[in-house]
Amino acid sequence: MSDIQEATNQLLDVNLHENQRSIQMTESGPGSESEHLQVTIGATVPTGFEQTAADEVREKLRSSCKISKDRGKIYFDISVESLAQVHCLRSVDNLFVVVQEFKDYQFKETKEEVLKDFEELAGKLSWSDPLKVWKINTNFKKKKTKHKKINQNSSKEKIDNGQGDKRDEKDVKKEFTNNALDSHILDYYEKPAIKEEISTLVGDDLASCKDETDESSKEETSPEVLKFRVTCNRAGEKHCFSSNEAARDFGGAVQDYFKWKADMTNFDVEVLLNIHNNEIIVGIALTEESLHRRNITHFGPTTLRSTLAYGMLRLCAPQPTDIIVDPMCGTGAIPIEDSSISPVHHPSFYLTVECLGKRKSCEALCSWMRGATEWANCFHIAGDNNPLAVNRAANNISSLLTKSQTKGKLSCGLPIDAIQWDICNLPLRTGSVDIIVTDMPFGKRMGSKKRNWNLYPACLWEMSRVCRPRTGRAALLTQDKKCFTKALSGMGHVWQKVHTVWVNIGGLHAAVYLLKRTPQAFVHPSEQDGGRTPW
Amino acid sequence: MKLLTHNFLSSHVKGVGPRGFPLRLQASEVRIMPVEFNPDFVARMIPKLSLGEVPTEPIQGYEQNEDFLRTMHHILLEVEVMEGTLQCPESGRVFPITRGIPNMLLSDEQTEA
Repeated sequence: MSDIQEATNQLLDVNLHENQRSIQMTESGPGSESEHLQVTIGATVPTGFEQTAADEVREKLRSSCKISKDRGKIYFDISVESLAQVHCLRSVDNLFVVVQEFKDYQFKETKEEVLKDFEELAGKLSWSDPLKVWKINTNFKKKKTKHKKINQNSSKEKIDNGQGDKRDEKDVKKEFTNNALDSHILDYYEKPAIKEEISTLVGDDLASCKDETDESSKEETSPEVLKFRVTCNRAGEKHCFSSNEAARDFGGAVQDYFKWKADMTNFDVEVLLNIHNNEIIVGIALTEESLHRRNITHFGPTTLRSTLAYGMLRLCAPQPTDIIVDPMCGTGAIPIEDSSISPVHHPSFYLTVECLGKRKSCEALCSWMRGATEWANCFHIAGDNNPLAVNRAANNISSLLTKSQTKGKLSCGLPIDAIQWDICNLPLRTGSVDIIVTDMPFGKRMGSKKRNWNLYPACLWEMSRVCRPRTGRAALLTQDKKCFTKALSGMGHVWQKVHTVWVNIGGLHAAVYLLKRTPQAFVHPSEQDGGRTPW
Repeated sequence: MKLLTHNFLSSHVKGVGPRGFPLRLQASEVRIMPVEFNPDFVARMIPKLSLGEVPTEPIQGYEQNEDFLRTMHHILLEVEVMEGTLQCPESGRVFPITRGIPNMLLSDEQTEA
């Protein structure tokens, strides 16, 4: 048992260690059983954060990205064994595997001809590799939700079989093992659910060319008759057809080709047809649009919010031992999804301030925590002015700590704290914080535009107080751009606007403002003539 | 609440300003929670702490002193106050700590203008 675990962990160690290794998984032993499939993965990211997502991919997958600028998509090549890590990316919303890309597709003149071409296209594409990836991915997801013991056993056997080939690599990898980081990785992957999935994932891949009658997958899907749908996104002015028409005709051809059943709601395979002017990308979805990929258990969607939170934090480029204040506001309830402690980039100290408004919950707090656990060996303090949210935070923190303890490992002591406070009056020392990441209330569902008029300047003012002069920075998300700009205009002596990222949140056009704290020290209003009021 | 956090907290009661630090801590229930020791983190965090009137000479070379770092690590990160109070040294206002969470909310009269 422990040998297998160790083997698994060693294998995973290779994949997970982003900074310390440059050895790719593809350089495995001779005559290996797996095909070492290389695929192109596409990912949707919050518009404006393509570069930060690309940075994350480069860091974690050692792969460079092609960016589809301002369209919220990035593309990168990976070996299929890295699929698990792809799901661990924090800055991406949805994933798909690229079947084919047409950089300059020549559309014919008439609608009939164009649609006919689409029909013929279906049969000409090479589907087998992308479908293999889809299959692996589906098994991965299913096991996540079902936790079948059977799979664990069968996957263990596979690991055993593959162990011989991998042994050379393992020994090599041992030299690079950093004990402190090892335990972090081990802890994450020792969570029973994750361990099952990953070992299955790796095992599946190893056995992929053995046969398709893999017992664990067979019982769940009969590969012959799958249900599918085609989703077409079309953008461009010169098209003589609609996305529905393209989806319909392309889908018809796909159906004929594979003999699958078309089903718009209850589908196994979602084929993506993305058309942007003369660029066409055909792909197969690896995540479900309606369910955020991180909603593995039972909470509602925060989709953009957690990826956005993560992107915003990355924008601030946390440095070693930076002190980060992260106020997040949100609605709904999310338990902390996982207490994954990823290998540390930089040790940092996090303070999360969750505060704005009365109706508050733990959601954003938790989504922030998920994003922030990225930089492990960090110290997180989550704050909220709502006692409900704070209680929830306390529960979550306790349960996380309990989980760590039951594993019998020390390393996961979670450096998280929660405080109940008010952002307009933070109980923090002046100039003690390096980074502030916050989600200002939009004034739509929460608060009001009128209230923002007072709230925004007060927030900015207080944030400028706690933020460290000269080196401090802030990434502030808001939809109320007018109010924000006005509030900021009176604060040029403490805040300098460095960059603005335009984002689209559920149809709302919002902005992330990246601010830099000026060298000017904070002067308390009572020390100035007549004090200072917001307006 | 960890003691590291406590070092960053300061009273924001009206009129108190920098005299609101440090908050007087009274713990009625404490828990020790093991945390992975990262000497680098501790060493770099120490200059960011506000340690009051501490003579500088003994501190030089602390980065290499593992015992010192381990002690600091333990104090800052592993000791958690579960129940207790924080008191503003200037105004006397008391903030409760419940289930590890300090409640720093002030009533309106006590906030800064």
